[in-house]
Amino acid sequence: MPASTPSPFAPGLVHTPVTPFTRERAIDFDLYARLIEFHIGNGADSLALPMHAGESVSLPDAERRALLEFAIKCVNGRKPIIAQVSETGTGIAAALARHAQEAGATAIVATTPYYWTPPPAMVLEHFVQIGSAVEIPFFVYNAPEEMQGTKVNAELCLKLLERRPNFAGVVDLSLDWQFMIELMTDAPRVRAGFQLLAGTELMVSAGAIGATGMFAPLAGIAPKLVRALYELCRQEKLFEARAVQEQIAALRQAVKPGGVASLKAAMRAMGRDCGEPRPPILPLDAFAYQKLIGELDAIAALRAEPRGW
Amino acid sequence: MQSPVTPLKDDFSLDLPTFERLLDFHVRTGATAISWPHHKGESLNLTIAERKRFAEAAVRVVNGRIPVTIHVSALAVEDTMELARHAEEIGADGILAITPYFWTPSLEAIHAYFVRLCSSIALPVLSYNSPSYLAGVEITGELMSRLIERLPNFIGVKEASFNSEKFLEISRAALAMRPDFAMLTGVEYLLPSVPLGGIGSYSAAGSICPNLCAQLFDACINGDWPRARELQYKISWLWLLFRDQYPSSLKGGMVMMGRPVGPTRAPLPTATKERQAHIRGELERLGILDTEPHGW
Repeated sequence: MPASTPSPFAPGLVHTPVTPFTRERAIDFDLYARLIEFHIGNGADSLALPMHAGESVSLPDAERRALLEFAIKCVNGRKPIIAQVSETGTGIAAALARHAQEAGATAIVATTPYYWTPPPAMVLEHFVQIGSAVEIPFFVYNAPEEMQGTKVNAELCLKLLERRPNFAGVVDLSLDWQFMIELMTDAPRVRAGFQLLAGTELMVSAGAIGATGMFAPLAGIAPKLVRALYELCRQEKLFEARAVQEQIAALRQAVKPGGVASLKAAMRAMGRDCGEPRPPILPLDAFAYQKLIGELDAIAALRAEPRGW
Repeated sequence: MQSPVTPLKDDFSLDLPTFERLLDFHVRTGATAISWPHHKGESLNLTIAERKRFAEAAVRVVNGRIPVTIHVSALAVEDTMELARHAEEIGADGILAITPYFWTPSLEAIHAYFVRLCSSIALPVLSYNSPSYLAGVEITGELMSRLIERLPNFIGVKEASFNSEKFLEISRAALAMRPDFAMLTGVEYLLPSVPLGGIGSYSAAGSICPNLCAQLFDACINGDWPRARELQYKISWLWLLFRDQYPSSLKGGMVMMGRPVGPTRAPLPTATKERQAHIRGELERLGILDTEPHGW
């Protein structure tokens, strides 16, 4: 591709804040401002929002835009913001992408379309149109487990590189070694600076393969642990990273079954109450909450994490 | 560790002299262990009698130079039990067994299967986890813990999900209970697995490029990650080449390396002359033809 491609933006360690809600299920903007300060003060290189951890799909269009604008105002240029613009309809996602650029986002990230489980050719067109809506860097979020099996493959990424000069990298939640290795063998040859980012806090294998960044939904619970893992991986101290990785895997395993409800419950346990999730997600019941607390207590590394704001 | 392909004559019958030559080739070119017959060795296209016959040959030819394990997975669990007993009788060093085929067994059924298998022999048993080929049937971390606790000869796993989270779930559970539990992976996915506690892998391309396999293993074990990355990219590219019509493409590649091993049994195709030429072109491009042994 020509040398006119945008200079690579390296997201580094990307925190993905939850979206706080009031008891009336409205966005709690005061609390959101506080949460953003917490992330900036506790190791984030960039912020990505609203991700699925931020209940993006539970925010109507106007709220989603307002949330992004508010976050950009709060951050005020101190850290880059990656706006998530995923949608079912390509046109709706492209409109969100345009809005993100106008609002001042540094980059955008988008998943495969919701619900339709489209074949690769349709996924490619979806991404081409979203990427074409903006000039800022565009990341593809590959999360087959969250998207009923719809995923991107290396071939699709190479085609997207040909079509979109702002296609900057893949945020990978497939955790699939075959895909990541094939992608990193081919894509950086086509576009220097192409990036693989770990889509969650499982970075040792991805880092060995060549990932240079990490999306961290658990950063609201354990920012120190997340930062330690990221640093060790970036310094290629991969054997040393294993112990930290195992602690984080234990945390992820504890939170994963309950999804956002567990994430928010764990944040409350850490003294950073961001309310409950919006429907259709139900809050954890008392039994599930106590089970989660027990599992968190068993993770020794959490004792060194900040409590409260 | 190398898992030889199964050489066949033109009439698709077993080719014992070539198998003996191949075993010897692997031992001489740095294999740390031999395991046969993996899926790559067309295990499920062989009769139980054929599997026994070549298992005997493997133990005899290797002759204690390196360990030999026998892959005993079969469609019928009763055949698996029979192959395991046979492996013990002929002096193999261990067996390898996948979760049962076809039935998509529950976790309790998988537990019962491994308990029965491990209790029936004194040999060490390696389990084999391959959810992507078996409709999601897999050994969870919790199941692994139960098996380790109960079965002293349950010593390791070939973890072939090729997925960070699945590997980590098992390694975290297993290594906490038994630090010498053998966390192995398939193909040659050493770069992503060794930092998580992996200690080795079986090999897909070892009959093509044994030098590359050994270099990758050394780089990973020594933590030379930039070098390991370069080698992993190269060997994984070969995997993409061979994964298509595996293992017939591999057998086609072996022709190009001067080590012909005959056709592949149906329903798998045999690599055509055109396919062989394509593979040769790729091997040349990657420098394999110049850096790896030619002939036996």
